[in-house]
Amino acid sequence: MKIPPFKEINPPNKNGYWINHKTKETYGGQYISPLLIPNLQKVEKCFEKAINDKKFMRELEEKLLTFIGVNTPILRSTELENLIGGQKKVGKIYLKRTDLHHDSSHKPVNSFSSCYMAKHIFKAKKIICETGASMHSRSVAAACAMLKMDCEVHIGAVDAEKVSLNKDISELYGAKIVVVNESTKSLLPAMASALRSWQSNPDAMYVVGSVAGPSPYPRMVRTWASVIGRIAKQQFKQMTGKVPSTLFCVCGGGSNLMSMAYPLLKDKTEIFAVESGGEGIHTGRHGATILGGSKMGILLGFKSKVVMKSAQIAESLTEASGLDFAAVGPEVAYLNDIGRIKFRSTTDIEAKKTFLMCCEKLGIVPAIEACYVINAALKEIKKRKNPRENHLIHLCGSGESNVARMIKFKRENE
Amino acid sequence: MNKNFQEMFAKAKQEKRGSLIGFATGMDPNYKTSKKILIEMSKHCGAVEVGIPFNTSTSDSATIMDANMRAIKSGANTEKIFKLIKEVKSEIKNNVPFLIMTYMNPVYRYSIKKFAKKCKTSNVDGLIIVDSNNNSPEDKELSRELKKINVAYVKLVAPTNDEAFIKETLKKCSSWIYVVSYAGLTGSKQVNLGNVKKISKLIRKNSKIPIGVGFGIRTKSDVSKVIKIADATIVGSGIVDIVGKNIKNHNLTKKIGSYLKNLKKGLNK
Repeated sequence: MKIPPFKEINPPNKNGYWINHKTKETYGGQYISPLLIPNLQKVEKCFEKAINDKKFMRELEEKLLTFIGVNTPILRSTELENLIGGQKKVGKIYLKRTDLHHDSSHKPVNSFSSCYMAKHIFKAKKIICETGASMHSRSVAAACAMLKMDCEVHIGAVDAEKVSLNKDISELYGAKIVVVNESTKSLLPAMASALRSWQSNPDAMYVVGSVAGPSPYPRMVRTWASVIGRIAKQQFKQMTGKVPSTLFCVCGGGSNLMSMAYPLLKDKTEIFAVESGGEGIHTGRHGATILGGSKMGILLGFKSKVVMKSAQIAESLTEASGLDFAAVGPEVAYLNDIGRIKFRSTTDIEAKKTFLMCCEKLGIVPAIEACYVINAALKEIKKRKNPRENHLIHLCGSGESNVARMIKFKRENE
Repeated sequence: MNKNFQEMFAKAKQEKRGSLIGFATGMDPNYKTSKKILIEMSKHCGAVEVGIPFNTSTSDSATIMDANMRAIKSGANTEKIFKLIKEVKSEIKNNVPFLIMTYMNPVYRYSIKKFAKKCKTSNVDGLIIVDSNNNSPEDKELSRELKKINVAYVKLVAPTNDEAFIKETLKKCSSWIYVVSYAGLTGSKQVNLGNVKKISKLIRKNSKIPIGVGFGIRTKSDVSKVIKIADATIVGSGIVDIVGKNIKNHNLTKKIGSYLKNLKKGLNK
């Protein structure tokens, strides 16, 4: 199998900005202490070198295929179709199974690629990363174990407890875990903590898990991660003869959304991103950025849509640690503002019920994050009532680390 | 150059000494105490730097982060910090320059033009933004606006920066330049004099702008060593640490006063 090559179709400018030419708004950039500017320049240089180095790319792609198992199947789910009226009413529903990757989520594609570049081109001996649901840290730690590099993981105290299995696996792979007790004790302060640590360890490389952070990270992460979407697009065409009518992905910072959506940006596919509505967006206790009253703001090195209280970054609240982020990546905000991506939301309770439904009706234990998108997709597809459409949903992770909380939820609701 | 900074550096030069710049987070632990702290600092420091807290700061150690969170909890926001500085400056009745130190988001959200105007009307003499990037549209606008009203735009350079970056930074920087002494967070390590010498040499090669050195300066001996190389030294974590450990102590301002008095002894060239 050969991975379809990357084509740059929506590049930022030389300073790392996407520009909405209609409103003149800029997204992205590099808002960081001058201490880290040379490091970011080095990361960018290494990334350019990597993607233009045929031998490096060939070796990396071989590892992605054989170690990560990136050629995961697309599953036609008549079970989901039947839940909302059957194929004759709503069309066909397909699931892209990145839960079947090594380390059980879409994350390892970017994590491994970044670490591989760090090892062979950046020549770093140590990797620093942040994590929410610990899917990112788990896959970074695995890459570091394989590539013989030190790994330092920053995780919010709340997440450390919620997704302890993934955190423990990261530790088994040899990562040093730094538990962050600041602010919301979730992904946002974990990322701030990782950036601070990088300032004290400029010889290390920071591996970001989302399409966020200072330039070049948003572009680099979506480029690495887009391997998933490039393969999915090819598979889908082989299966149905065309690109999907709709694509549904969950969106915290936007890494899994961009991994699938990027190769389809110039196609006719309608792209839907799903945010966590938490206890309901109207309650103010949610993890939705675009639908949750965000404004343009600057945090963690980039400018994008951010949920804020005054000038402070607001707390986001959601069952899903991977969606607990008060901002979206700059390219995601740009694509929303130009109308290329539409946003929907699912509440925590709807996602939890979807989790149980997937276990019982599909025989799949999905990551709780994936349940937000499955729920929203079913609602949207049902509304469209178009039997000629082929819908693609990104099942972006496996839910082993959610089992303890979900079995409790199941028993409490029986 | 901003007039008050010009006077500060001229006076120090005449007296053959360096200048001490003290930092405290505005409204830490609350408005009233913070006002007393800033007034006390203005008695001992050549200039006073006031932080507008940001809850997602990327360059501060736990000491400053805790101060940020205490200030936010006490209701700190950009508007109130401007009010605080204006009140302090009208009470001290002298020309000790006051600077604001913050991150780009509070400035951007306030509106850059409005922020610059407010600096002028609140008698703020300068601004430092930790995460401002020379190539960002906000930095360009801010630099332009501050220049119009003669408020100092103090930019940071670090030991990891090369001459090209320093030259670029110098184009925007006014009144003085802030040298970060080591690769790390505020107050997390000892001042690195080797780095300071190296960067100061590069700055002096390209400009006559006064140099202030921060990060890791806590003692009289640190001050004394830095002042042999630079024009000013910035002390932050040392002061904020006293605030954090003495929140309920009636002698808090006195403690800060005696700490600064001792540091001043190291200012002679």
